[in-house]
Amino acid sequence: MESSDEAATEKRRIHLRPATLRDAAPGTLHLLPCEVLRSRAAPVRRFFAPAIRQGPDGLAVSFRGRSLRGEEVVVPPGLVGYVMVMEEKGEDFSGGSENDEEEPEPLERDFDRFIGAIASFSRFTLWGLETIPGPDAKVFGALTWPTLAAAIHAQVPED
Amino acid sequence: MDLSDLERDNTGRCRLNSPVPAVCRKEPCVLGVDEAGRGPVLGPMVYAICYCPLSRLADLEALKVADSKTLSESERDRLFAKMEEDRDFVGWALDVLSPNLISTSMLGRVKYNLNSLSHDTATGLIQYALEQGVKVIQVARDQAVKNWRFVEKLPDLDADYGSGYPNDPKTKAWLKKHVEPVFGFPQFVRFSWRTAQTILEKEAEDVMWEDSPTGDQEGLGRITSYFLKEGPRTRPHLPHRYFQERGLESATTL
Amino acid sequence: MTREAVRWLNAALAGEKLDAGRVFEETELQSQENDPGLLDGGANILRRGEYLRDASKKMKNGLMFVKLVNPCSGEGAMYLFNMYLQQLFEIKVFKEKHRSWFINQSVQSGGLLHFVTPLDPLFLLLYYLRKAEKEGKFQPLNQVVVDDVFPDCILLLKLPDLEKVLRHVTEEKEIGNKKYYKYSREKTLKWLQKKVNQTIAALKTNKVNVSARVQSTAFFSGDQVSSDKEEDYICYAHGLISDYLPKELSDDLSKYLKLPEPSASLPNPPSKKIKLSDEPVEAKEDYTKFNTKDLKTEKKNSKMSAAQKALAKVDKSGMKSIDTFFGAKNKKKIGKI
Repeated sequence: MESSDEAATEKRRIHLRPATLRDAAPGTLHLLPCEVLRSRAAPVRRFFAPAIRQGPDGLAVSFRGRSLRGEEVVVPPGLVGYVMVMEEKGEDFSGGSENDEEEPEPLERDFDRFIGAIASFSRFTLWGLETIPGPDAKVFGALTWPTLAAAIHAQVPED
Repeated sequence: MDLSDLERDNTGRCRLNSPVPAVCRKEPCVLGVDEAGRGPVLGPMVYAICYCPLSRLADLEALKVADSKTLSESERDRLFAKMEEDRDFVGWALDVLSPNLISTSMLGRVKYNLNSLSHDTATGLIQYALEQGVKVIQVARDQAVKNWRFVEKLPDLDADYGSGYPNDPKTKAWLKKHVEPVFGFPQFVRFSWRTAQTILEKEAEDVMWEDSPTGDQEGLGRITSYFLKEGPRTRPHLPHRYFQERGLESATTL
Repeated sequence: MTREAVRWLNAALAGEKLDAGRVFEETELQSQENDPGLLDGGANILRRGEYLRDASKKMKNGLMFVKLVNPCSGEGAMYLFNMYLQQLFEIKVFKEKHRSWFINQSVQSGGLLHFVTPLDPLFLLLYYLRKAEKEGKFQPLNQVVVDDVFPDCILLLKLPDLEKVLRHVTEEKEIGNKKYYKYSREKTLKWLQKKVNQTIAALKTNKVNVSARVQSTAFFSGDQVSSDKEEDYICYAHGLISDYLPKELSDDLSKYLKLPEPSASLPNPPSKKIKLSDEPVEAKEDYTKFNTKDLKTEKKNSKMSAAQKALAKVDKSGMKSIDTFFGAKNKKKIGKI
């Protein structure tokens, strides 16, 4: 049982390197209205960012010959965005001996992992296919969840 | 010709025109319309009209205007300069449609194909002038291509892209060389051309849009597997509509 | 994050290894890192109880994602423990079809956005208390909160003030200095009613549309919201809370709140709505038709265009078909309006 992959996933602990939350540099994020089927490096700075135009009613750009319209989304106050990366076994992206004091000892179980933030964000650009996403975009709804969650999960008053 | 507007922003369309000669407002005029750069996979497409009073047509012919395809580049430049001298009776106007405009129109959710785009552009020019002309627009297209300022920051892009026509081996080689796995090509390329799409299909990452023809099937597949995975234990648990309406669900992995 | 992505990113790009974006509760997670006082709090944990000693090495980090039971479905779900602040977080993921991220100089497929928000641990404890109820006796908590599939459930025992919060849902006995607990249905329903009430208050404050089957629920004017009936609010709040409860308890609560039957057996009636908010199916088929049609013409066009330099005539023949496309285009436009 222990050796099976599935059991290992259920029991896996993913340790978040706390120092990476403090050190994460602000990143630039765009949420696109299409699925690029593979994750990989992409020269966004050269191909995408310089082509963005500020129109009278929002941002405009094109990707793969399709017209995109966009708007800035601000992460609600009290929240901070992080871009996280899971380290494969034996890796350490947290870098720098300065963090050594805070870092945990090597993993005791080989199916456990470390995860760390490589960037932070407080805003991102939301893109729609040919139309501005607008207030009905689901992601705006999603961003209201933390406020409601706080109310649902607050301790109830004593009798 | 002042192409500074186009050079400032070459992601959309740009209209250039001469002042309307006073005589053209009085006398019946002949108007010609033509396009340039319809075929290439690269660069903008240009529509132009040229017009002059019927009475002065012979003067225009005296300049030895001819089908631009039969003229050398220097002859075309010379003719354009001459026409500028004859601005008291020759007027012209042109529309430069950027390759980005062509791509996004033809690949749009509401398809706007090249014929319609051409038709509407030509009609628009004729409406703009309501007169008649000659075929000298090759100059405009060549200038636009030659001085194409890439919107992207691509310093290592090599400028040797041939004629821009898809059957030009140089153009094809340029496309193959400059395909970028995520972005495909710079906006200079008409993504809607088969030549460009074929290269993208082979050399670039697949991209699915909500109106992609196969998108629907993929969605169905995903739903099916979702049901199968649940097994006999329970019906699949759907989150409350609050979450469904916001695209939220409990994370089961990171 | 797909394994493939990780492998690729590891192999090729230092500094661009990424997962999807996540939104954390800033006050809960980040401020402690900047506040030496709170780091002291971390040290306190290590000094505290015997049950922490063996785990202390692993606890050093203090922040970890683990898989625990989803009390509603019984399946596994990801949670985050903050051992410094002794808090539990749940993780919701925003997921839409046809999304990707550009994150700095990379593309991340899927476009996931994770939300890490505090979770009342009592929902998870309830799950185990109800399971243990079948024994019908008072039990110590460490015999109640056990799980072969999700052994990390024992971390729940390390959360603070358990004795206090357990009073909401259990009867307890103290023998020696050890506490024994037994699930109490009555107390639980009372507690859940309070949960429903505070949820209703938040739904109203946040102007969540709880009644109409309209597509855009999140953002409706205040007028529309105020016209929602109280029963709709109770129903909606019950449904939300039910996402943290086993089915039977949700049904019990529904009866306790005197909600009409159907809403209890079908807590998520508008599940089809999600589809409605996408483009209609007919339209998609239509696009496909146009797409193929367009590709054909496009082929034709590029051939014509190639010959264009030599044969001006060819272009004109291409122009003949304008009407067809023109008509089609207009039709599409109307369709969109």
